[in-house]
Amino acid sequence: MAGRRRGRCGGGVEVLESIYSVVALVLILVACVELGDAATAVDVYRLIQYDLAGVPYGSRFGGLNHHAGAFPFAPGADFSRTVVMMPVRELNFTFLREYIINKQQLGGLLFLLPQKVSKKIVGEIKSKDDGLMRKILVELEQLLIHASIPYPVYFAFEDDKINALLADVRRSDATGQPATATTGGYKLVVSSPEPKKLSSPTITNIQGWLPGLKGDGDTNQLPTIAVVAPYDTFGAAPALSVGSDGNGSGVVALLEIARLFSRLYSNPKTRGRYNLLFGLTSGGPYNYNGTLKWLRSFDQRLRESIDYAICLNSIGSWNNELWIHVSKPPENAYIKQVHESLSDVAKEQGVTIGIKHKKINISDPRVAWEHEQFSRLRITAVTLSELSAAPELLKNTGGLYDTRDSVDEAAVYRSIRLIAESLARHIYGYQGRNIQIFADNSSLAVNPSYVKSWLDLLSRTPRVGPFLSKTDPIISALKKELSDHTVEVHLQHEMIDGMFSFYDSTRATLYIYQVASVAFDLLLLLVLGSYLILLFSFLVITTRGLDDLINMFRRPPSRKVKAS
Amino acid sequence: MTVFHFFNCAILTFGPHAVYYSATPLSEYDTIGTSAKAAAVYLGTALVKLVCLATFLKESENGNFDPYQELLKVLINFIDVAGLYFALTQLTHRNISQNHKFQAVGLGWAFADSVLHWLAPLWVGARGLEFTWEYVFQGLEANANLVLNLSLAALGSLMWLRKNKPRILIPIIYACAGVLATMPSITSYLRRALGWQPAKAVGFELFSSLMMAFLSWQLFSACQRPA
Repeated sequence: MAGRRRGRCGGGVEVLESIYSVVALVLILVACVELGDAATAVDVYRLIQYDLAGVPYGSRFGGLNHHAGAFPFAPGADFSRTVVMMPVRELNFTFLREYIINKQQLGGLLFLLPQKVSKKIVGEIKSKDDGLMRKILVELEQLLIHASIPYPVYFAFEDDKINALLADVRRSDATGQPATATTGGYKLVVSSPEPKKLSSPTITNIQGWLPGLKGDGDTNQLPTIAVVAPYDTFGAAPALSVGSDGNGSGVVALLEIARLFSRLYSNPKTRGRYNLLFGLTSGGPYNYNGTLKWLRSFDQRLRESIDYAICLNSIGSWNNELWIHVSKPPENAYIKQVHESLSDVAKEQGVTIGIKHKKINISDPRVAWEHEQFSRLRITAVTLSELSAAPELLKNTGGLYDTRDSVDEAAVYRSIRLIAESLARHIYGYQGRNIQIFADNSSLAVNPSYVKSWLDLLSRTPRVGPFLSKTDPIISALKKELSDHTVEVHLQHEMIDGMFSFYDSTRATLYIYQVASVAFDLLLLLVLGSYLILLFSFLVITTRGLDDLINMFRRPPSRKVKAS
Repeated sequence: MTVFHFFNCAILTFGPHAVYYSATPLSEYDTIGTSAKAAAVYLGTALVKLVCLATFLKESENGNFDPYQELLKVLINFIDVAGLYFALTQLTHRNISQNHKFQAVGLGWAFADSVLHWLAPLWVGARGLEFTWEYVFQGLEANANLVLNLSLAALGSLMWLRKNKPRILIPIIYACAGVLATMPSITSYLRRALGWQPAKAVGFELFSSLMMAFLSWQLFSACQRPA
């Protein structure tokens, strides 16, 4: 601007023109300034999008740019250009089902989750609210992941700003007009790129090997006991699927058992005559696909040397009853042995262990428990779990409700005591003897702070298998931890079976703008126009006189008169 | 929010200058050269003021109102007055009457002031989706500034260009000029130290500028009468 003035004062047409071009360039550059200012920016987490055998499920879109709306609605209103904000606390399932199952078009859906999903479990006291919230979240999750939704669905956590916004939106909706471009309101914008299919997602199995003591005359392979736990999760919001109980509790138990036995095995005098194989498998929610591939990678000798395998699944929120799930009939000698070793220790600790038998159907692709993959390869295996019935596909795999508060470290502690004690008695041949190897206050006691810190870490890390890269921090952390306790650690990277395919873009930032309506802009323009006209007339009248003003509007006729 | 709003706020901020120019006899006498020169002098003054501020002012740590710093700012604002003096007296203007000279100078001064203060924030801010009243208030402030600058130019021309003034009025003229010169400091004091809401502060500015304009008009016409 200064240049322009100087140009005009100094003369020189070429200088002027070059300055004009510079100014134009500056204006163009300035026009590209990112307009990112918004009243509120919120972290939001997208609903999972996946295909199962070619059938699409989940939310199929990512980008969002519509006005906000909330209950209570005017009846018969059109929501195809509105983002409906629903707090989970007051969820209206009939409305939701109607919209999702009938595939009616919405602009988008935003679920507001409470900050704390459930209050801390203290002993056996769970408030009624907890149970209700858990039920709502489970039902919501099952509804969403088994439907194909043609608009973006996001989850966000409630806080003061969003609650104030929601109240505002409700107030304006109650007057009967949902917000659109002409009536103002709030605009919700998520600018994320179109979600793309994950190309060749990998799942990683981590195994650790603790060799037993081979005697001088032993030429055969030592028998092996395997302890296995799946570490990955699946939930409606993959960026929130931390799976504290399913299966963070199992992972923590496995790590602590590895630590305890590595202490025992570090001294040759206390090294048992069994090898120990620890396996953290991935692909759990997808019919234990990773476990299958892991087992197939074993060579024949190792497979035959496995005495039995214990699979851990959700052992973090039980009180005094655990279940062993088996696929061979309970009368089988090996199964009986395992069951007895566990229930003997359990009785001493005041816990009951029930046994549940579920036959495997070879033609059924559904694998409900991890031990079934072992059984299909003729390895004796059991699953230890607090669940009494087999979970359905994609259920109990670490969903929205499964956060740090849903797992009790005391329960995990008890599980570790139980499993470690029964394993040790089997290894060292102390069955039936009343001896406590991992007694409290001994050097081999279960370490509660170890349990707690790993539970905390796992509860902060979403672990949906296909979204974890080969070098993901949590995989490296688990690998490092196992290598601290075991002698040989291997990572095995596999591709998920063709049945499942996933799409990326699991988290985004939501910008909330308060917009004024077009009517307001027009009104303002009108006011300003009349102000300027008034100012103009006022100035003309005061400086030149009223006649001049009138003459300005009457010029053409007077000229005509003059001419004639 | 949106280009529409930007356009609205722009015509609120810069429209009155254009209207003033076209409505009064200024346009008939083609005084655009004078206004342009006055704008250039304003730019120079602004640069000098910035340099002085940078040299003499300390950065306040807690953003509270520091009387000593504010006094310094007031003194630096007097550079404004010096600049106006320069524009009125030293520049060679075409042969235009006193009456029109101060109007042209004041208009050019106020226009440069508005552009330098408000154009950039308006461009960057008013085009976003988010709606605030901020830019409308800025436009109103620009209007008040225009009136203030015109009054200051009028009083300036009275002080420096008119030789025969009635004795009684001279101290009043100087007092009014002093008030006008310190008006920016007064408004910033009200905003920061007393914490007035933007609406209230803008209202005060508008009201005070109209009052001062009325006063200076009276003084000017009083001096017009043959002594």
